[in-house]
Amino acid sequence: MKNLFSSLNFDQQTIVTILFAVLFVVFAFWLPGFTSTGNLLELVRSVSVLGILGLGMAIVVIGRGIDLSMIATLAVPASLVMTLAASGYHPAVAIGAGLLFAIATGILNGVLVAYAEIPALFTTLAVGIGVAGIGQSGMFEYDIVAWPPALDSIAWIGRGKIFGLPYSILAFGVAALAVHIFLKKTRLGFFIYALGDNLAAARISGIRVRPIIILQYVICAVIALFAGLVLAASAHSMDTRIFNLTWIYDVILVVVLGGIGLSGGRGGVMNVIVGTLLIGTIVNGMTILNVSYQGQNLVRGLVLLTALMIDSILNPRNEETAKQGDI
Amino acid sequence: MKPILEMRGITKLYGKAAAVEGVNFDLMKGEVHAVLGENGAGKSTLTKMMAGVVQPTSGEILVEDSVINIKSPAEAVKIGIAMVFQETSLVPSMTVAQNLFLGNEKFFNRIRGVNITAQQFMQSLSFDVDPTQMVASLGAAKKQMVEIARAMLLDARVVVFDEPTATLTPEEKRHFFDLVETLKGHGVAVIFISHALEEALEISDRITILRDGKHVVTDKTENFDRDRIIQSMVGRELTEELYNNKKTVARPAGERILSIQNLRAAGVVRNNSLSVFKGQVTGIFGLVGSGRTETFKVVSGAIKRNYRNGGEVYLNGKSVRYLVPAPSVQDGVAYITEDRKVEGFFETMSIKANIFLGMLTKGKSARFWLKNSEMDQVGDTWVKSLQVRSVSQNAEVIELSGGNQQKVVIAKSLVQEPDLVIFDEPTRGVDVGAIAEIHEIINRLADEGKAVVVISSYLPEVMQLSDRLLVARQGKVVEEFSPIEATEEKLMYAAVH
Repeated sequence: MKNLFSSLNFDQQTIVTILFAVLFVVFAFWLPGFTSTGNLLELVRSVSVLGILGLGMAIVVIGRGIDLSMIATLAVPASLVMTLAASGYHPAVAIGAGLLFAIATGILNGVLVAYAEIPALFTTLAVGIGVAGIGQSGMFEYDIVAWPPALDSIAWIGRGKIFGLPYSILAFGVAALAVHIFLKKTRLGFFIYALGDNLAAARISGIRVRPIIILQYVICAVIALFAGLVLAASAHSMDTRIFNLTWIYDVILVVVLGGIGLSGGRGGVMNVIVGTLLIGTIVNGMTILNVSYQGQNLVRGLVLLTALMIDSILNPRNEETAKQGDI
Repeated sequence: MKPILEMRGITKLYGKAAAVEGVNFDLMKGEVHAVLGENGAGKSTLTKMMAGVVQPTSGEILVEDSVINIKSPAEAVKIGIAMVFQETSLVPSMTVAQNLFLGNEKFFNRIRGVNITAQQFMQSLSFDVDPTQMVASLGAAKKQMVEIARAMLLDARVVVFDEPTATLTPEEKRHFFDLVETLKGHGVAVIFISHALEEALEISDRITILRDGKHVVTDKTENFDRDRIIQSMVGRELTEELYNNKKTVARPAGERILSIQNLRAAGVVRNNSLSVFKGQVTGIFGLVGSGRTETFKVVSGAIKRNYRNGGEVYLNGKSVRYLVPAPSVQDGVAYITEDRKVEGFFETMSIKANIFLGMLTKGKSARFWLKNSEMDQVGDTWVKSLQVRSVSQNAEVIELSGGNQQKVVIAKSLVQEPDLVIFDEPTRGVDVGAIAEIHEIINRLADEGKAVVVISSYLPEVMQLSDRLLVARQGKVVEEFSPIEATEEKLMYAAVH
């Protein structure tokens, strides 16, 4: 299997890009209304939040971690911002409070993973449930928090259009560019690749690995907050029960499908973009085809499994450096 | 007498390197056969092939004259070959009796019945172990008894002991020798791998010596003495030209850079004290388990902080205690690991990126933004200076040969401009051509006035490189030699005794 892939000299990114192109063409020919401007804009809009989340997840996965608390940090801090703004605080104060909340969540994740050495999978699952619980147990009056008029000054991040393109896709673009520059052009980004590749070697080379692990979860949480604000602005509200949905699996799907190996140290922003486009197209196509919610979940599950399988074939775990409890 | 087990022309390749090469070995019924050799001579690999843990690349294994293909440890047990490892494979939270019958329980498993059977069985072997005791509460010697009993219960005809006495106290050792006698009395053939030459001389009937994966000699024990064993273990022809220029002039000691006093760590470093000086190579020779690596991992902060139990480390006269490697790197210590794959290089990165990363971790050059041009320039400089050879400019490190990988790991540390460079087994798994180049690098560093430490279990290497030779045994440095007076026999003697 491995020989097949490597002899064809395809990496996962290329495969997924081709798959996306093929699927797009097929849908364009066979699905009525798929290529209409309205639908394409809807496709782009619907994937941009997923894409932004994927960027945060990508940073953590490159550092050989995983963050299952992203949806909770998308919903709760963003709702906090809206609640505070609605009750009369200045938008800057409200956003500052949300930012602090997100950063605190990231630090909690990072400290537990880096210092207590609890596997990221369980740490972030527990923290996510906890954060969602804090939100649901009385922080907000209703499950659904409405976008307050006080925040309309920044509502453009999810609503407006420029040259016919929705701002949310531009938000994705800006986030992608920022993450790309961080990962490829800064020392800290380089270090994240290093410790994702080989934590022990990174440590012995003199990198302070634990603060960097914390940093990657903090960045991830801040990106989740950003995604939350974009989502809330475009939907005019935030449903804090969103944590109960299977969205986090879509985020992982985007990252893994795009070709960022769960074994760490590989991939970049392009992989997230490609993964997002493919998932967006599949979901959009299924919606037009009127596939039931259950049917869609089945397809997603199959695609995720396939992606994980391809990942473990293309990026096999290094048995010598893998630890028990590694994701 | 016919051998119960025979190996003919056995070869085991790991990649291109042969761990065992064309070895012939035979084992008689009821004999104790000691297998001796230096670290990496292939003793463990040889016995692992008998026990089905690894598969030979070529050659055949015969059990009672019929060729057999042992595919797994389970199959080996079925044939009657049992291996007792250094670390026991018992389940600590179960009782002795439960461990004995583990995997062979009856469908209705009556604890009382099991205990009685176990008791009777232990008595028949005259092993003094209570079958209802928890394995976790047993000492090392009794655990070994349980392992042996389990092998006997499975009708083992061949029992392989890998370093059985390493964890035992002197009294326990005596008891172990009695056990071996008992096994012999039951007609079991015993293979005994050890570092301790005296033990081999004492309990074995025959001795086989391996060197560099090749068979050197097999003979009756009464025909051996210490000197003959050591000579067979260390004598080398193969790499003669590489190692035959014996040191005649040692570099003088410069300023004292490192002083370790009464260091205790990780259970294997016991009251270790030593000093390292600038401008010379300090060689540390010792067998595995002598605490050499752990001592220097404490110096560099690479060892987990709670493994350090006491003692002082002075760097440039200042008492230091590094909890992680980062601050030691800032203070000019470079530890170049013995296991480059696990903690040496970054396999997904290019050669240049690996080297550049080393530079980025050191204070002065630490800046927020990266410059690709700087990476290319730093990478090119070091690739040239250490003669790293690769197929393409942007090759990933994983594609390089062992020697070139090692050079990348060395460059990654040297780019940090350290004052104290610690090489742990610098030429392990390195092709012969690159060995000379790596030795050249080590000598160059000492000539530049840096303090260099070379830890090695390869005698000719330490003898050739060192200006001062320290021998470690059982967690501390026990003797110091000047390279001019040292001989392989003297060093080996100090390391083993």
